[in-house]
Amino acid sequence: MAQVTGLLPPLRLVSPTATRELVLFAAILIVGAGFSLASPYFLTVVNLVQTLRAGLELAIVSAGMTLVIIMGGIDVSVGGIMAVSAILIGKSYQAGLSSWFVVPIGLASGTLLGAWNGFLTTKLRVPPIIATLGSMYIFSAIMFLVIGGAWISGLPGTLSPLVNGKVVGIPASLLVILTVYGLCWVLLRQLPYGRHLYAIGCSEQSAKLVGINVDRTKIAAYAILGLLAGFAALLYVARLRNVEINIGTTVALEAIAATILGGTSIRGGVGSLLGTLLGVVFIRIVQNGLVLVGISSLWETVIIGGLLIVVLTADALGNRNNQRGA
Amino acid sequence: MTSSATVSSFVHRLQGNPLQARLLLLLGLWIASLVAMSLLSPYFLQARTVPYLLQYIPILGLLGLGQTLVILGGGPGIDLSVGSIVSLVGVFTGALVTAGIGVWPASAAGILLGAGLGFVNGFLVNVLRIPSLMATLATMFAFGGLALASTGGRPIGGFPAEFGWLGQGTTFGMPNAFLFVLLPAALVLHVMLTRTVTGRHIVACGNDDRAAHLAGLNVTRIRVGLYMLSGVLAAIGSVISLSWFLAARPDAGRGMELLSVTIAVLGGTHIFGGTGGIPGTIVAILIVTTLQIGLQLANISAAWQLGLIGVLLIASVSRTGVFRHLLRTGS
Repeated sequence: MAQVTGLLPPLRLVSPTATRELVLFAAILIVGAGFSLASPYFLTVVNLVQTLRAGLELAIVSAGMTLVIIMGGIDVSVGGIMAVSAILIGKSYQAGLSSWFVVPIGLASGTLLGAWNGFLTTKLRVPPIIATLGSMYIFSAIMFLVIGGAWISGLPGTLSPLVNGKVVGIPASLLVILTVYGLCWVLLRQLPYGRHLYAIGCSEQSAKLVGINVDRTKIAAYAILGLLAGFAALLYVARLRNVEINIGTTVALEAIAATILGGTSIRGGVGSLLGTLLGVVFIRIVQNGLVLVGISSLWETVIIGGLLIVVLTADALGNRNNQRGA
Repeated sequence: MTSSATVSSFVHRLQGNPLQARLLLLLGLWIASLVAMSLLSPYFLQARTVPYLLQYIPILGLLGLGQTLVILGGGPGIDLSVGSIVSLVGVFTGALVTAGIGVWPASAAGILLGAGLGFVNGFLVNVLRIPSLMATLATMFAFGGLALASTGGRPIGGFPAEFGWLGQGTTFGMPNAFLFVLLPAALVLHVMLTRTVTGRHIVACGNDDRAAHLAGLNVTRIRVGLYMLSGVLAAIGSVISLSWFLAARPDAGRGMELLSVTIAVLGGTHIFGGTGGIPGTIVAILIVTTLQIGLQLANISAAWQLGLIGVLLIASVSRTGVFRHLLRTGS
C-alpha cells in the first residue's frame, strides 16, 4: 500500500480549500458582527451555546457527508436514517432497555442503513442520488408506519449530559463536535482509507487500477455516514427526549449545503473537514441571527438555496480552466 | 410450430428494440397493478374510477414529460426543481390575480415565469457547468423557499369559479386538463422526439455529447432549451393545479420532483440520457397513479405509497442495467 500512496496524483488539497476556509471565516465574522449590531441578544453566551446545541446533529452529519462527497458520492437520505434510528432508539427505551443496549442499537441501525445505500450504489450500480432518494422514500415510509403520526415522547434523558453538560466550563456539545471532527480528520488525512476516498473522488477508474477496492471503500463511506447519522439520532433523543414526526427533514440538504459552502467539490476529490465545520457554523449563525432580527424563518431555505447557487457559480467560474468533464 | 416461430420472431424483435420491450413490461406491470388494486378495494373497479384516475394524472404527467426530456438530453441532466416551479408559478399567478389582472393573462405570465426559471436551471447546468443534480437542488430550495416565504405559507384564493373549467370540468366524461393539455402535449412531444430533426438532435446529445458537438450541434443550446421546456410544462401543470383547487398553495409542488424522476426512469428513460421516450413515461404515470389511488381507496396508509415509490425508483434504475445486460447477452 505504501507504493500505491506514492503513486497518487497531487490532490490539490492546500490552496483551493485554504482560501475557502479563510473566506468563510471572514464571512462568519462579518455576518456575526452585523447580527450583534442588529440584535443585543445575538452575542450572548446563552444564545451561542443554544445555537451550538441546536446545531450539534447537523455538525455531526455534515462530517460524514464530507467524506461521502469527497468520494464523489452523495446521500440525501441521512434525514431518513436519523429518523429510523431515532425511532428504534425511542422504541427500545420504551421497551425498558438501558442505555447500554440502546446506544449500540442506534449506532448499528444507522450503520446498516448507510451500508444499504452503499450496497445500492455499488453492487446494483444505481447512481447515488437516485439510490438515496429512493431510500429516503423507504425510510420515511418506515417512520410513518412505525409511529403513525404521533410523537414518541417521555424518553429518559440518560444521554442528555452529552448535549447539555459542561466539562470544566466548556459545553459538552462542543467537545462532542470536536471529537467527531478529530476522528474523521484522522480517518481522512492520516489513514490510507482517507487517501482512497480522495483517489476515488478524483478518478474512480484510476483508483481501481492502482488496486483500491472501490466498492468496499464506498460502502464503508456510506456506512460511516450512517453511523454518524445514528449518533446524531442518539443526541437528538438526548436533547429533546422525544421523537417528532418532522425529524431530519432538512438535515440532508443543510449538510450538503454546509459541505459545499466549506469548499468540498461536488465532483469529488477535493474538500476539507475544517471547511465543512465552518460551513455549519455559518449556516447556523445565519439562521439564528435571522430569527433574532425578526425575519420569518421561512426565508432560511431561500437564503441557503441562494447561497448554494452563488457558491456553485463562483466555483464554476473559478474552475473553468481545469474542467474534469461535465 | 407456427406459433413458436412467431413467438421467437417476436422475442427477436424485442431484443432489437429494448424500448418496446420495456413498454411491454410496463403495460404488464400496469395490468398487474390494476388487478392488485381491484382485489384490494371493491370501489376500485368501477366506471367512475377512470375519470378520477385521469383527473389526477395531468399535473404529474406534465412534470414527468419535462423530466423525461431533460434526462433524455443527457449530460447527465436532471431537474429537481420542477416541484418548486409548480409552487412558485402558482403563487406568482395568484398574486397577479389578486392584483386585479385577468386569470388567463395571469396564467400566461405564470407560464413565462416557468420558462424563465427553467432558463436559470439550464444556464447553471449547461453554461456554468454545475452538475445538474446540485444546481437544481439549489434552485429547488430557492424557488420553493421563495414561494413559501413571499406568502408567509398562506394559500392565495380568490380565483373566479369559471377558471375551474380547466382543472375541474369534463368533456365527454374526460377531464379537460387531460383531454386538452396532457394528451396533446404528449402527442406533440412524441412526434417531435421520433419524427423531427430536433428530436433526433436531443437523442444525439443524450447518446454522446462529444459526437453531437463534432457533428455541428449546439449541445448547450439544445439542453438549455430542454430545461426551459421542463419549466414551461411545470408552469402549465401549476395552472392546472390552480384551476383544480381555485387556490395557490405555496407548497403545491412538494414531493413532485421525486415522483417525476421516478416516472421518467420507470418509463425506461436511461438515467444518463440517450434512451427513452414518451410512451414509456405515460404508462409509468398510469402505474404510479393507479397505485396511489388504489391504495388510497383501499384505505391503506399513505406511508406505503411512499415506500412503494422508493422501491420502484431504485428497482427501475437498477433494472435498466440488468435489463440491458440480459438483452445484450441474449442477442
